[in-house]
Amino acid sequence: MSHHIQNPEEDVKEYQSRFKILYIFVGLAAVIISSRLWYLQIVKGSELDAFSRRNLIKETKIPSPRGLVLDRNNEVLVDNLPGSEATINPQQTTHLEETAEALSEIVQIPPKKIVNLVETSRRKNGPFRSVRIKENLTREEVARIKRIRIHHPGLNVNSTILRHYPLEEDGAQLFGYVGEISKRQIRKLNQKYKGKLRFEQGDIIGKSGLEENWEEQLRGQEGIDFVPVDARGRKTESQSVDILGFEPQPPTAGNNIVLTIDKDIQEAAYIAMQREDKIGPRTGAVVAIKSNGEILAWVNSPSYDPNQFATGISSELWKELINHPFKPLRNKVIQDHYSPGSTFKPIVALAALQEGEITEDTIVSAPSVIRFGGRPYHDHTKTGHGNITVAEALERSSNVFFYKMGIALGIDRMAAYARLVGLGRETNLNLAGEQPGLVPTKEWKLRRFGEAWQPGENLSNAIGQGFVLATPLQMALAFNTIGLEGKLYQPFLVKKVVSTEGEVLEEFEPKLLYDASVPGEREVYVSKENFRIVKKGLRAVANGDRGTARWWKIPGVEIAGKTGTSQVMSFSADQIYDKCNERPIHQRHHGWFVGYAPAAMPDITVAVLAEHACAGSSGGAPIVRDVIKAYMEKYHPERLTTHDRKVANQ
Amino acid sequence: MMYRGSASNMSTSPLSALKKIDVNFTIIIFVLNFIGLVNLYSATQSPEAVGLSRLFSQQIFWLTMGWIIYLVITVLDYQIWTRFAFVFYVINVIALALVGFVGKSFYGAQRWLDLGFFRYQPSETMKLALILVLAKILAQRSSYNGLGLRELAYPALLTAIPFALVVKQPDLGTALLLLGIFASMVIFVRVKRSILAAAGLILLISVPMVWNFGLKTYQKNRVLTFIDPGRDPRGTGYNSIQSKIAVGSGQFAGKGFQKGTQSQLEFLPERHTDFIFSVLSEEFGFFGSLSTFILFLILFTRSIETASQAREKTGALIVVGVLSYLFFHVIVNIGMVIGLMPIVGVPLPLLSYGGSSLLTTMLGLGLISSVYFRRYLF
Repeated sequence: MSHHIQNPEEDVKEYQSRFKILYIFVGLAAVIISSRLWYLQIVKGSELDAFSRRNLIKETKIPSPRGLVLDRNNEVLVDNLPGSEATINPQQTTHLEETAEALSEIVQIPPKKIVNLVETSRRKNGPFRSVRIKENLTREEVARIKRIRIHHPGLNVNSTILRHYPLEEDGAQLFGYVGEISKRQIRKLNQKYKGKLRFEQGDIIGKSGLEENWEEQLRGQEGIDFVPVDARGRKTESQSVDILGFEPQPPTAGNNIVLTIDKDIQEAAYIAMQREDKIGPRTGAVVAIKSNGEILAWVNSPSYDPNQFATGISSELWKELINHPFKPLRNKVIQDHYSPGSTFKPIVALAALQEGEITEDTIVSAPSVIRFGGRPYHDHTKTGHGNITVAEALERSSNVFFYKMGIALGIDRMAAYARLVGLGRETNLNLAGEQPGLVPTKEWKLRRFGEAWQPGENLSNAIGQGFVLATPLQMALAFNTIGLEGKLYQPFLVKKVVSTEGEVLEEFEPKLLYDASVPGEREVYVSKENFRIVKKGLRAVANGDRGTARWWKIPGVEIAGKTGTSQVMSFSADQIYDKCNERPIHQRHHGWFVGYAPAAMPDITVAVLAEHACAGSSGGAPIVRDVIKAYMEKYHPERLTTHDRKVANQ
Repeated sequence: MMYRGSASNMSTSPLSALKKIDVNFTIIIFVLNFIGLVNLYSATQSPEAVGLSRLFSQQIFWLTMGWIIYLVITVLDYQIWTRFAFVFYVINVIALALVGFVGKSFYGAQRWLDLGFFRYQPSETMKLALILVLAKILAQRSSYNGLGLRELAYPALLTAIPFALVVKQPDLGTALLLLGIFASMVIFVRVKRSILAAAGLILLISVPMVWNFGLKTYQKNRVLTFIDPGRDPRGTGYNSIQSKIAVGSGQFAGKGFQKGTQSQLEFLPERHTDFIFSVLSEEFGFFGSLSTFILFLILFTRSIETASQAREKTGALIVVGVLSYLFFHVIVNIGMVIGLMPIVGVPLPLLSYGGSSLLTTMLGLGLISSVYFRRYLF
């Protein structure tokens, strides 16, 4: 140590002037840091304090349950189930790949797909929006995710409300389904419900059917909860939320809607359509209305299970539904219109009677074929029907009789009566995609095709084959009007809107649009007399010796109705009598049956369109019979004869 | 073994020894330790901080050790350490090199040696070893004329070796601190103006070079987000933003003990180590943070005074070295917490949790205290 012994005074003196520099540095640091602390804590203090509060409290939405859909007797048709969903918050994830890997094992979604979902959403919606990975988790999945959540920031399990359709495929097109709102819909719906409802990203909305139509009533008000979170967005236990005076707003449930639908009749209709008989399960549509316009049953076939939509539909399933040859997504009751075929004949009969072309007793020769304009027009039988009255013509569904009526009346006069019973216009049911059908006129053809009406077209349209088109619902309404001898009711589906507390908010009464038997109200009218003549014919269809649907009876209750065949394509003369069932299925005719009961004065009217069923008598009539039977058993069991009541009880 | 008459004072009673201790200095250290403990308690003993509660009792153990070291070093002659400076230096360099092979990795950097009972971080003690060896050499070489290139070469080489090793870990913060200590001590003893100007020029040129070739992406990111923290508020800039919010939201009086939402709810990362000052600022406000900072300032000025009263150059240089070590730590740590500096992993001396940091700090303070103990009295 001693090799550089020096005078210590001399020694440290060398540095004396240098200490100044050190003081300057310390002083400089003191000034800079103190003023920065002053700036942050005093000048910007309250601003940053507000920041820290926002940090701590995360505003989260509490989903509101949608209103229930109930049948006319308050039986549940659509309700809600509690569910859970797994989400990933992009901003909070630290190792997305690892999180995806871990989650993948639990929910059986490839990790690549999870990463893609998160990345796509991060790009599209920004990093702050949680990405739904899987809905409708099982209990076990929830427990397993919660266990790994600690190691995977951003991974969350949220409780959700799952829309549930207990009838599953039955009535799916009517009730519709719910799904996440799309960007386009946000704009559209916010415009539509301006000032009433607000739609945001992530909202679950009605996408079709009643769910879509009654969005305003079914949709509840979301609640807001304030959740204390840490920096990783994880919920923490802290009393500070209460201290800061945040009060959660509970969600308000949507209103319930009570339908005119009767669950039992609805199910009877569905089962009838699915029944394996000679024809097998039918595709097509069934609609049953009470005589006052209340719709009792509404079935489309084939169908889909909307519960699969509620849990996030897979693209495979969606593709399958869209490409299905018999269109399960379609609400055929109103969205498809068909040639009414022979079910149009009663309307032509009304026209011929009212216009004085015939009377009840006028005998018309109805052979198997007539020639008109150099062309043969065939009956559906090879023998023809001989000399028959209008009632007999309806009973046996003579084509030639109605060809002659068509020639006598001309299209415009037939059209006026078709309009009178409600064809050719929307029924104002307010469901999306309703087809107006078509009642052709000379003017219409000129406008539509730029061509004059051909006299021969009067013949085809008189038997419901030419241009004339109608939806099953329209046909049910028309027959209901005939059965009621002129009263045309507005069809409707919703009887009541009821709050969750049970308070009736809105009630809908049956509405008589007009009485077609009153002269002067519409462009034409039909006297009660003439209605009764046609009704006689319709009664004979199901009850007469030669009725086309005489096999389908309910002991004790008389059904009246009309079969019909809607030609899918035209055939040459020699093909006409070919066995329909021997053709490839897509070439087979649709079968119609529209009927009401009791025949004297209907309580219920049912229209069935059985696609590719060849004939209405075998394809449609049994279903109409079953639906009417279900109705009678439930509401008028006293009318059924003892024998049948016993059968019904078995 | 001692110079002048002061040697006889050494053997006097413990009471007179106490009189020679810098009592104010010691009390300030004690108060800062206490503040550190209070904040550590807040940061680790809340119901949210499961898994951290163990740290508090560990820190008390380190503090006890630290104080024993401080007092022992105070009364021992610091010349012992300068005498063995090279031994310490070599041991530390070997330890640093060893870290590269058998060190424990943490946050992607290898900084620890697992000694079984204690995870030892050689880069911490390296700082002290460098101070001692530089103090010894510079005391011999310094003159009024300032150091020339030839006198600088050796101390520069001694700094470059640990610097390179620490950069390799990689721990840029510590590496720059070693450089800072070297620069402070060298500039303190005077360097020729031409060399100073040349060094400045080299620094200016090398910055873009280092930026392009020397820095890892995360290091670049830290600097970039420091310049603009908003560029990635959930990534690298997140810590900086959350820390500023924590500090600012304390306002004047603070949110109160254990009431800091930023720290209690884990918005602050590393709140018991690097961001302990945020916890303090949030819970005790401007009042608390400024008071604590002032305590540090007093510690610094007391150290400068001690250096000016040092018995010999070596003592003064040890104080300057330790002072620069403490000064840089405090300025860089508080600077990053309040958004004046990029986020680098530098603990706040005496307050942050961590055995290596605390023991090294107490050792360094003990050296300053020892120089005061043997100060020149007029």
